[in-house]
Parts: sequence; C-alpha cells; structure tokens
Amino acid sequence: MSDHGAAPDPIDEAYVQAEARLSDEAARAARRERVLAALAREPATPAVAPAPAWRGPAWRRGGWLAAACVAGLSLFVASQVYEPLPRQPQTAARAPAAVVAVAPTPSVPTPAISNAPAPRPAIRGVAAAPEPPVRTEARTAPADAAKAETAAPQGPLPDMAPAAPPPPPPLAIAPVRRAFPAEPPAASSVGEIVVTGGRAEKATAANDVASGDARDETVTVTASRRSSAFAAPPAAALGRFAASPARPADQAARLRAAATAGRTAEVESLLHQGAPADAPDANGDTALIKSVQADHPAAAAALRRHGASLDHRNNAGESARDIAAAKGDAALDQAIGLGP
Amino acid sequence: MRPAVQRVDWRPMEPDRVDDADLLRAHSAGDAHAFARLYDRYDRPCFQFIRRTLGGAHADAAEDLHQETWLAVSNNAAAFDARKASFPAWLFTIARHKVWDHFRRQKVAVLASVEDDAAMMVPDAGPTPLQQVESRELAQRLVAAVEALPLEQRGAFVMFAHAGLSLEEIARATGVAVETAKSRLRYARATLRRALAGERSAHV
Repeated sequence: MSDHGAAPDPIDEAYVQAEARLSDEAARAARRERVLAALAREPATPAVAPAPAWRGPAWRRGGWLAAACVAGLSLFVASQVYEPLPRQPQTAARAPAAVVAVAPTPSVPTPAISNAPAPRPAIRGVAAAPEPPVRTEARTAPADAAKAETAAPQGPLPDMAPAAPPPPPPLAIAPVRRAFPAEPPAASSVGEIVVTGGRAEKATAANDVASGDARDETVTVTASRRSSAFAAPPAAALGRFAASPARPADQAARLRAAATAGRTAEVESLLHQGAPADAPDANGDTALIKSVQADHPAAAAALRRHGASLDHRNNAGESARDIAAAKGDAALDQAIGLGP
Repeated sequence: MRPAVQRVDWRPMEPDRVDDADLLRAHSAGDAHAFARLYDRYDRPCFQFIRRTLGGAHADAAEDLHQETWLAVSNNAAAFDARKASFPAWLFTIARHKVWDHFRRQKVAVLASVEDDAAMMVPDAGPTPLQQVESRELAQRLVAAVEALPLEQRGAFVMFAHAGLSLEEIARATGVAVETAKSRLRYARATLRRALAGERSAHV
C-alpha cells in the first residue's frame, strides 16, 4: 500500500502514535475473540456462489405468467365470440344514449333513433348548407328515422337551443353520425359527444360499411356498462375527468418504487408522463439512487436517459455516483454512464 | 528542518507474507486459520476507522459495526475480485457502508464538509506533532481533534494515516475522484495542525 500522490506528514505519524498510546490491547483481544466466534457460528461460505435456494421446474416458475396469458386470451376470445341478445326497447333505461350538446342544439327535436345526419352544430349567422345526401338506416324505429331524415336538413338553425332538454332517447343505441359537409365545419363548431355503450360503436361502424358512406364519422365516448344511469355530464366535467393528471408527488413515489423494484417499463412510462426524475424521498434518496442501490442497471439507465442526476446526494451524503463506485459493478457503471 | 517522515507500518511483520486475496480464497475454501490471519492484519485500522468515523456520540456502536463488517467480508469472500480493488480498499468500502447505514438508521444528518481555505493557514513553528503526543492527554486531544473533523475528511485521514491506504484506494473506497480524496486529506491535516497549534498555545 503505497501513498501514490501524497507524501507522509508528521501529523499522520502523530496520529498513529496517539492511537497506539490509547489502544486497549485487552479490549482488542476480546473483540477478536468475539468476531472470530461469530464467524465460527456463521455457516461456511461456499467457494462458489450458491445456487438459488428455490429452483422449481420451469413451468412452475412461469406459472403466473402462463395464467395471465391464458386469462388474457380467454377475455379476447370471449369478446370476439360474445354476441349480445337483441336489444329490446325497454332496455333503453338501462343504457341510455346521452347526447352532450357542446354546441347549442337546434330547436328541432333530436330524433330518438336515427342514423340520419344529426343536426349540425349551429354556425352563427350562417345558413346551414344543404346536407349531402346520406343514406340512413333506421333499424329499430323506422318511422322516427324517416321523420329525422326529413326534419334534419331544414333551413338555418337558430343560434341558441331552447332551455328544455330533449326528451330522453328511448333506445340504448343511438349512434350519431355526423355527415361532413363539402367543407369541414369551423373549429368552433364542435360536434356532439355521444356517451353510449361499447357495442354501439361497433354497430355504427358496421352500418358505415354497409352504407358505403366513408365520410360519416361517429364521435363516441364509450362509457362503462355499469354507468347505465349516466346522465349527460357537462362537457367540462368530461374534459376534467379525461385530463386529470396524477400529482407529481405521487408520480415521484411510484417512480422510486418502480426503480427500487427494477420495473423498467413502469419507470419509462412514469418518466414519459412527466414524473420528476430527481424527486427525493424523506431520506433524500432519488429513484436513481434507489435503482443503483438495488442493482437495477436497466432502470438506472432509463432514469439517466431522462436526465436523472448522478450527483444528487441523499441525507447520508451519498450520491448515485458514490454508491455505484463503491459497488464496482461494471454493468451498473456502464448503465449510468460511468463505465467505458 | 524537519526530519523525513516514514510511513508507519502498523502491520505485523510476517516472514512469509501471503497475499490478502490468497488468504480470502483459502477462507472460502474452508481454511479456518486463513481468516484469522487476515483479520489480524487489518483489525486495528479497520476498528479505528469505524470508531473515529462514528465519533464520540456513536462510539458504542463501533464494536457491533466492526463485527458486522468482518461478517460481511466472510460472507462475501467469494465475490471479492482482486483485479477490481485491493483487499483493504474493499474492506474499508464495506466498513464505510456499515457506518453510513448506521447513521441512516439513526437518522443522523451528515452534512457536507466545508473545506475552508482558512484552515490551510497554519503556524508552522514549535514542536512537531509527534513531540506533542508524548503524553496520553495530548494523544487524547489529537484523537478528539480527528473525531471533530468533517466526516469525509476524517475517513480519508484515518484510511491514509492509520490504514495505509493509497489515495487511489481511498478514492475507490469512498467513491470519489483521487483529487477529491487528496483534497480531503490535505484539509484534514491542516485542520489537525491548527488544532494542535491551538492546544500548544493553550498549554504554554
């Protein structure tokens, strides 16, 4: 052990002499006995790294994965094979289609069942252009659909809809097809958002194919089947629901947990969602420090790619760089950019 | 003019000195005496490093941490790679981690050391430090001054002065650059010289 780069100093020798003067040989001998006795009580360390204690058959080790695959496959097949019973008119109350009129609704009553062009959003001061002919298929209430077909393209629409809401739709499936005019509507004239069951979207798509009308578009927000009494919420509420972000503190905690457990995909996902990469916990440990401590090079590399700092120090004064250097793991060093 | 100072070799003279890595390998293979020989080589500096790094407030934990360190050495003997680091560097890395873990468990906030340039301005007259530790009381004061050093400076100083680690080994054990280790050692010495100078003036 040579002193590369540093010359000995009198203070060094003075300190060694001071320690020698203060040393208690009896205590040292007792300490030696205690340590060696503790070592003797420990099980013998094998010369080679021991095999994992639990080494079950491969099919058992992958049991959970196999079960998850089977469950997912079953769900997929069931969703493809399952055909709902023909819907009865009285099922309307169970899954009503709620029409959220973002733009003012026309005074003309909205037909209950219709594949006819829905009333276009009002464009202030502009007379509605004649709608292009759209083939409509009224499947369950042809009379109403026919009525809608004749009622919808009528002259200029009023700016403001009457306060009274339209009567509740009697049927569950009420896809609203918005026929595009020759020119797309102005950005301010937003179409309707239809909240309905998931099957409605599929039915509408089938109708589109059948009708061959490629310009029709269905704007559908699929709601849970459990929310059968889902009354048309305000559009603002929908937007708030859709855009409610997780709190940064929660994201940071989840990020640290994922980094500790080595769940690299979750780490990546959280970082893409904007989780703060360098947020420390109560001990000052960041996700990168935790991933380095737990020997997860892939998670550490993901954090480094998103700018996690190697030099952030925890409450104990250690940084990820320090811990990685102490570990001396080449793979870890390379993952966080310390290695060659 | 001061006489040239030689590094103190605290290790017992062994006529047939076996390499540390060989001893560790023999221990892994089941040689009961190999580990005792290795322990005897590094017991003293390792314990003093732990004891001084803990400081007076946590001195009671030194024995336990020392034992934990050697148990960790024994349990991880197969993982030691002499090509990556020397045995003392590895040993002190483990010891340092034990101390930091203890601080973390005790929720001791370790503050970063402030390396004050004023610490480098030390009067250079008077008896040498070695002459000053002739008495037990002054030895205690020097050790107390070591324990009062900032933590990283303290560790670097004890590893260099007492354990005989090189700057590269200290840098490896503490996870910093060699220049940082050198700087810590320099500041530690300067602070100790200043402390001894203060003691001298107080005793005159």
